[in-house]
Amino acid sequence: MSVMRRRALGFTGVALASALVLSGCAASETDGAASCDAVTEVTWLNTIKIEIQEQFVAAVDEYNATNTDCVKISIIEYPQGEPFFSVATPLYEAGNAPVVMTVLQELPDMADRVMDWTGTELAGLAAEGTLDKANINGKQVGIPVTAEAFGLLYNKAVLDEAGVDPTAIKTRSDLEAAFKAVEATGRKAVHFSGLWWSLGAHFTNIYHTTAAADQAGRLAVLDELTGGSKDLLADPAFTNWLDTFDLLKQYSIDSATIADTDYDQGVENLATGEVGFWFMGNWAEPNLLQTTPDGSFGVMPVPTSNDASSYGNDGISVGVPFYIIIDEEQSTPEEREGAMAFISWLLTTPEGQARWSGPIENDGMNFIPVYDGFTVEPTTYMSQDIAKYIAAGKALAWINSYYPTGLQDVYGAAAQKYYDGVSDRATFAKELAAAWAE
Amino acid sequence: MANKRSVAKRVAGLKNFGIFALIPLMIFALVLVTPFIRGIFYTFTDWNGFEYEEFVGFANYEASLADETFWKAIGITFAYVGASLILVNLVGFGLALLVTIPMRGANILRTAFFVPNLIGGVILGLIWQFLFDQALPTISENTGIPLFQENWLLTPETAFWSLVIVTVWQMSGYMMIIYVTGLMSIEKDVLEAALIDGSTGWRTLVSIKIPLMASAFTISLFLTLRNTFMAYDVNLALTGGGPYRSTELISLHVFKEAFGFGFFGTGQAQAVLMFLIIAVAAITQVIISKRTEVQR
Repeated sequence: MSVMRRRALGFTGVALASALVLSGCAASETDGAASCDAVTEVTWLNTIKIEIQEQFVAAVDEYNATNTDCVKISIIEYPQGEPFFSVATPLYEAGNAPVVMTVLQELPDMADRVMDWTGTELAGLAAEGTLDKANINGKQVGIPVTAEAFGLLYNKAVLDEAGVDPTAIKTRSDLEAAFKAVEATGRKAVHFSGLWWSLGAHFTNIYHTTAAADQAGRLAVLDELTGGSKDLLADPAFTNWLDTFDLLKQYSIDSATIADTDYDQGVENLATGEVGFWFMGNWAEPNLLQTTPDGSFGVMPVPTSNDASSYGNDGISVGVPFYIIIDEEQSTPEEREGAMAFISWLLTTPEGQARWSGPIENDGMNFIPVYDGFTVEPTTYMSQDIAKYIAAGKALAWINSYYPTGLQDVYGAAAQKYYDGVSDRATFAKELAAAWAE
Repeated sequence: MANKRSVAKRVAGLKNFGIFALIPLMIFALVLVTPFIRGIFYTFTDWNGFEYEEFVGFANYEASLADETFWKAIGITFAYVGASLILVNLVGFGLALLVTIPMRGANILRTAFFVPNLIGGVILGLIWQFLFDQALPTISENTGIPLFQENWLLTPETAFWSLVIVTVWQMSGYMMIIYVTGLMSIEKDVLEAALIDGSTGWRTLVSIKIPLMASAFTISLFLTLRNTFMAYDVNLALTGGGPYRSTELISLHVFKEAFGFGFFGTGQAQAVLMFLIIAVAAITQVIISKRTEVQR
């Protein structure tokens, strides 16, 4: 017990220490805010995500050096992989709550503590549908960071060589035929990562998002699971999904064991054309392009049914991975205004947009913009693929963002067991259902 | 006169107390007692990590006891404590006997065995993760020894034993030092008397040395018991509770319950239950060990 406490304090210590260090770095000598009577310091917890950490810090540095809003943003860094609550609760307890935070599944937990974005300029600019998940009982708790997509990533060069057209793959048997065609060229068909988060959050979403054709029906499945009345094995969407699970396992480059938890290995295999497909998301594109700079990598649906018209067979999962929330409990009105000034700079000015959606090699974050008025767009092959699916209305919902905090860990553990062949379909279904009862 | 002296004595006593104990006592109260009491208080509320709204009685405890994964974590913890307790002390005592044999390089050996204890748990976990994941399978491939061919961290049973191996490697050096001190404190005349009476090495060890250094066992067993029950960093860094949450010791479970899942009330209640279990186990062990100690 006391151990827990001391740990919590320890984390605060680390977070504060790194905050001090960072604010020390961020305080630029050529402060554009020299004409200000007082500079408002605004704290921002973490750097949105680890993959674009350097780019985000660079954006903060530029803003701090040039802004005329009399605002200084300082980042509170926290150790990678730590749960959000382990950092946020001690900071709140200490009265040092960060002003800006980025969360997803914690939105309901944070709803009472944060600012209502309703009626703000930025909320008005956000693309349709991207605000819904963060609207809790009429309160706009957060605004979206970007849209991300996951599905089967493919290496275009490999598919071209095998004579496979990804847009022509409509069913599970089409997919198997494509796998065979790739194998006929002497390569392996697919890399299927055993990472808990990939299986637990993203792959399970393929089932949940195809469970019903409308959002109400999909959420009803979650309610049935919570109530204990859902029989997964009786749901054809679920058994179809398991069939695709088995198919990916069968054609995976290595025999599927959770030894395969190396993300970089997946990048390597797809980028160098060892395999034709990889189940992952567009966040991997910068990594792929770093390995093979002149490659083209796209994303396509994961077909779960042999009926081409079955809902979801032709869509990729698109969703908002993080929402920006602003604390209202411990922050001053000036801090909140400063935070909004910075976010507006990022999302509405040419300089900020270049940081937000510009290419990684130019210190941009390569985010797909979900706000009106963006003049900068990611131009990579995969981004254009995703834009096509969104334009065609083939974007599937991220039901995984409705999983309660921590559930994806339990899902991940259950899926890893099935992936390893330790559990059978019945056990897997039972464990998924049990995850909701907890 | 006598009265005056006793008053002066008492003042001096208070002064000494103030100099030596007050600050540690205040720190102890501030960082241990206060959070501890607040923690117990929170278990009776619907605390969500930020604030609480109402008292819920024993609901958090009931929910904890009904939680299957909590019992699983307790089971694994007991198995881990049992295995580590025996192995750490066997190895530690064995090493102590080894390094007290008069020979060249005994001091270097002592240092070498103690060094693992100076490495922090997280770094240690990462080092061993590399060993189990890369180094040992490669060695096994090249030598044909099949024992470590597969990565031990990937199946529940071997992952459990990996945890025990790393714990033994880390803690036995420390216990060795305590046992060495125990062995050295045995007076020479007793050993000489035993020798004259014709006692052999094994007989001397069992009948003379071990009884006379029983207090070293009490301390070592207590420390091992406490450290293994509260093990967290090695667990986190080495297996992270995996594969499939099968090696989640109680501390890690409590951490995940509260911060990972956001169930702060039940997480806190489980932490209190964990405290009770450790307290009972430690007190029982000390009472039993004390009985076996010999006064000379």
